[in-house]
Amino acid sequence: MELSSTDLGLAARVQQLTKTYGTGESTVHALDGVSVGIRRGEFTAIMGPSGSGKSTLMHIMAGLDAPSSGRAWIGDTDITGLSDLELTILRRRRVGFVFQAFNLVPTLDALGNILLPFDLDGRRPTTLERARIDGLVERLGLASRLNHRPHQLSGGQQQRVAIARALATSPDLVFADEPTGNLDSRSGREVLTLLAAATREHGQSIAMVTHDPVAASHADRVLFLGDGRIVADKPRQSAEEISAYMLASELGAGAAVAS
Amino acid sequence: MTAIAESGRVHLPAASVPRSVATPLGWLRERGMGASILVAAISSAFGAILLSATGFIAAVLRADPFIGESGMLAAVLAIMSFLLIGVAVYVAAIVTANTFATVIAGRTRRIALLRLIGASARSQRSEVARQGLVVGVIGAVLGLVAGTLVSWAGVALAGAAFGIEDVEYAVVQPVLVIPAVVVALTTWAAAWAGSRRVLTVTPLQALGGSVEASHDAFTRKGARNGAAITLFAIGGALLAGGIAIGLVSPLGVIVAFFGGIFSFTGLALGATLVMPPVLRLVGRLFGSSATARLASENALRYPERSSRMAIGVVMGVTLVTMFAVALETVKVVLTTSAGGEAPQEMTTLLDTFAGIMMGLVAVSAVIAAVGLVNLLTIGVVQRRRELGLLRALGVSTGQVRRMVLLEAAHITITATITGLVLGIAYGWAGAQSLLGAVPMPPSFSSPTLVAPAVPWLPVAIIVVATAVLTLVAAVVPTRLATRVVPVEALAD
Repeated sequence: MELSSTDLGLAARVQQLTKTYGTGESTVHALDGVSVGIRRGEFTAIMGPSGSGKSTLMHIMAGLDAPSSGRAWIGDTDITGLSDLELTILRRRRVGFVFQAFNLVPTLDALGNILLPFDLDGRRPTTLERARIDGLVERLGLASRLNHRPHQLSGGQQQRVAIARALATSPDLVFADEPTGNLDSRSGREVLTLLAAATREHGQSIAMVTHDPVAASHADRVLFLGDGRIVADKPRQSAEEISAYMLASELGAGAAVAS
Repeated sequence: MTAIAESGRVHLPAASVPRSVATPLGWLRERGMGASILVAAISSAFGAILLSATGFIAAVLRADPFIGESGMLAAVLAIMSFLLIGVAVYVAAIVTANTFATVIAGRTRRIALLRLIGASARSQRSEVARQGLVVGVIGAVLGLVAGTLVSWAGVALAGAAFGIEDVEYAVVQPVLVIPAVVVALTTWAAAWAGSRRVLTVTPLQALGGSVEASHDAFTRKGARNGAAITLFAIGGALLAGGIAIGLVSPLGVIVAFFGGIFSFTGLALGATLVMPPVLRLVGRLFGSSATARLASENALRYPERSSRMAIGVVMGVTLVTMFAVALETVKVVLTTSAGGEAPQEMTTLLDTFAGIMMGLVAVSAVIAAVGLVNLLTIGVVQRRRELGLLRALGVSTGQVRRMVLLEAAHITITATITGLVLGIAYGWAGAQSLLGAVPMPPSFSSPTLVAPAVPWLPVAIIVVATAVLTLVAAVVPTRLATRVVPVEALAD
């Protein structure tokens, strides 16, 4: 019998995942046989230079894109065979998202954005969920901003609303795609601290795609991707160590090409 | 590395970006241009056909030995066609200005980039106006040709059907060019009016701009709203005066007629004052589900755009309803005052007249409908990212479909309700000011107060047409919206 994600202590995992674009001469292997698990209750950073396949990996893991071959699970659900509607409902109920920009629906105020996953399900949050959301709003310092529309909020505030929305349903996994890419360094640090705290205090599993060593240094675990493969899997690292590793692998790759 | 990034983008059609800016007329393929050409073509064809029809009728009347040279009738026909073409061109101009304003909102980034490189706002705006002129000329010429062909066929058919082949009437006349020229020029002017936003685009917007700007901040509405309110007040006063005069003399209808023109122009100008509250009210009817709220918020997102989208349809519905109610009311009053039995010929004449007028003003409604379909489509195209985000967050394609349909319904229902209310009011005002002095049974005393009679058939047709329009208007946007894949929210 195959081991389930739960047995392995994983929030999500992929097996022998490949993704190719184009055909013939111009075939590009965005992902080339990736097998990896995101551990439950951990803050995982997925790093790599642009074009390394990290965004593609995240899209497939989150049920936003379909792989060319291989399988992907969220919790114990195999998502590779799901229909569009099943995937949509899975994302709504069991996955949270924080994107780099344009995270919020401009016509809804902050509270409307936070409650959107519940509204889409056609239900009100339960008392327990309501308490959780109130706690999040308090913790994220959004109490006085709940009736503001996105354009009335600063970039950092918008990201915090997105985090509140992503955590509100206490999903199996939160995916953050360059969540600090559009922020100044102070707001960026705030956002990362909040994500790390969600893991530490509530055991929230988070996977964050980034190319910023400082951002990745907030994570419990750092995965490195290069040319569509996992090239390294390291525990918590300082920003300096991450930079040094990336520089070394870049130089190594450069040297390999040169020779 | 860049190869992957680029190949990842291959399946994202850049729909809002003109595919070939390089070729001289490549911009014509941009979404919205085709519809603007269609709008110009319909109004120019309508003008040509109407002029031919009235010319032909006048020629037939001249040939009639009993009627002969009736200057009066010809003059009435000429005035009617002038007014009808005027209304059609006016609606077309609103639609075109709105289309260009919307297209430009989607071009902001590119305009900003050109400004960054050193293009002046003025030159950018004249380019848009030039495009308006080209669109107008193409549409006008197409409409002129089509209209002339239809007229030619119509005259031949009418001649054969009524046995009046001996009436000499040349369809191809220089006068047919007049509506075409007017349409081309108003399209040009409308593009110019709609392109005002170009002046507010700053080069900086090419760099950032992930946050949606507030679209109302820049509009200088003060003067326009002032004019709208003044016109409406004058019109309202004239209408009241017309009704008062009508209590003693049928001439009141002439005063009321001008009151109608003034007040309605005021309403059309002040659409952004009148429509948003009605939109908000109708939006509440949709309930509080997530899709309903997202849909109704979208209609209010650019109040100006939605208001103008709606006002075109409002004009069409108002005019049709007005003729229907006015003539039905006249019929009822005449029947009652005649003691319950109206002369058959009179009823037939009134019904025919009502039918023809409703058909003619319905052309304006069709033009407005084209504009509505077009604007809803552009609205979806410009919201691709947001739709991608919603899909990522768990909005199903079914919910997207419902959302787009509700959005279309929001505008059409609002416009129809407003149009029906206004049409009944204007129709009643017309009938009252004309017939207030007619003695009515049982006491046969005048002045009388006439109750508005609402004929159910035209109203039913309007309601059904609105429902059909809603469904038609939602087809293309729905297809585009459901095709958006969630990954697009994360792209670029």
